[in-house]
Amino acid sequence: MAAVIPNDVYFNTIAELTARLKAKEFKSEDLSRAFAERLVQLGPRYNALALPLPLDARRKGKAIDQDIKLDRWRSPLQGIPYGAKDLLSYKGHLTAWGAKPYAAQVFDYSATVIDKLDAAGAVLTGKLAMVELAGGGGYRFASASATGPGLNPWDTSRWSGGSSSGSAAAVAAGLVTFALGSETSGSIVTPASYCGVTALRPTYGLVSRHGAMALSWTLDKIGPLARSVEDCGRILQVIAGSDGKDPGSAGTSFYYTPQYARPLKELKVGYAAVDFTDRAEESARAAFQAALAAIRETGVTLVETKLPSFPYGPILSTILAAEQASSFEPLITSGRVDELADAAQIAGLKASLELPAKDYLKAIRLRRLIQEEFRKLFTQVDVLLAPGRSGPASKLDQPLDRGGFQPPSGTPVGLQGIVQAGNLAGLPALVLPCGFADNMPVALQVVGAPFSENLLLAIGREFQARTDWHKRRPPEIG
Amino acid sequence: MKFTRRQLAAAVSATVIAQAQTPQPAAAPADDLQAARDRLKANSDLLARQDVPASTEPAFRFQA
Repeated sequence: MAAVIPNDVYFNTIAELTARLKAKEFKSEDLSRAFAERLVQLGPRYNALALPLPLDARRKGKAIDQDIKLDRWRSPLQGIPYGAKDLLSYKGHLTAWGAKPYAAQVFDYSATVIDKLDAAGAVLTGKLAMVELAGGGGYRFASASATGPGLNPWDTSRWSGGSSSGSAAAVAAGLVTFALGSETSGSIVTPASYCGVTALRPTYGLVSRHGAMALSWTLDKIGPLARSVEDCGRILQVIAGSDGKDPGSAGTSFYYTPQYARPLKELKVGYAAVDFTDRAEESARAAFQAALAAIRETGVTLVETKLPSFPYGPILSTILAAEQASSFEPLITSGRVDELADAAQIAGLKASLELPAKDYLKAIRLRRLIQEEFRKLFTQVDVLLAPGRSGPASKLDQPLDRGGFQPPSGTPVGLQGIVQAGNLAGLPALVLPCGFADNMPVALQVVGAPFSENLLLAIGREFQARTDWHKRRPPEIG
Repeated sequence: MKFTRRQLAAAVSATVIAQAQTPQPAAAPADDLQAARDRLKANSDLLARQDVPASTEPAFRFQA
């Protein structure tokens, strides 16, 4: 008879779960079964589930139990249940990319990150929902997904964010211990901020994209969404590394060693005060101000900063449009693009085929200048700090292509465009839940120079030692 | 011509405010397509006004 798994495990961190597995409080097979069943039971409540994998999870859990019996520990993720965004292939199983035209798609290989996690002993319990095709065409409504709008576990009348909607919602609701998401321009930062989970967008090239849907080859990144900074570091250590199958691979490994980062009192944190006041939604300002004070208390020096002056949004949109046009040309020209759920996304994809080559080339030349300017900026400050989003998650019926909250005309620009800028320059970003607005989570983002993940994690770890926002749970979740 | 950050912010804000003040009926597919083309054109015009030194090569092999 299967053991009863106590309810509190669903919100345990990786270290806490590992300690309980080592103490033989329960078997890995039972833990895997319990998480897989919970994902099936509660995932649809948030439209977070794309594909349940209960049998695979249980089989893997059983194998892990054999390892544990021999006291063989393969990695810090051994026996830890997780979910993967449905843009990652999993051998022999459906990988729909959140889109109806690909509903029957099956690959005969798994994404490198899934293989790495499998070798590390992590247990895949299901594929998680996403905005169709990661939303590159530009979507108008949260319903732009074959699985319906991502619902926020903190309030199901609000969006869970996109495009890694299911990944963020599943972590927030305790359906998985961690999840893999991806970001081209905000697809990890936004859902993590809206759902109140800790997340890491790695440096471009640090994590292999082999087996992931290609939206934009020069922008796509895969990263973890989890319960804490500590967890993100442990996961990144497993999934990072060179991969000959990914032409964009940086050929670099990552070892989670925040203890060797520079002392926080030596760090200069660039920020713009206006981002935490007039450029933030009014309901979120108190939380952002308190978070800023908590960051200051870690010993770092806050320095008013500006981003280099570039039209980041148009540059990123141009690169994305050109690369997705090439990637999805067969879908668009076949007419099957019309099966997508969101009219604006359909139109955006169709229009992208008409983008002149000169615009793409101009955009990637400008990107080189952006990278150079950011190199200079990071000689003046060590990291950049800004709100993850300017306020809490939007309501489900709110059009997403109308720009959202706008501060009064004449408000200084602050670090506006940091998400697009960070993605264009391939920079890592750490998302830290930092409080609530309208009973919904809000978050900070800390952005660093390429391959500065340990520094970001060191700052985040100190922040989470002083706050407990990352430990909060949505109400009414069993 | 290079835009200042303030000019860019004002241009974006003006567009968004204008859209927000206009009732938004459900767009017909043709309208959506035209809007998408207009966005590409607006981006193209903006990029055309950016000065890039002739020696700046595209980041063909993108490295962070």
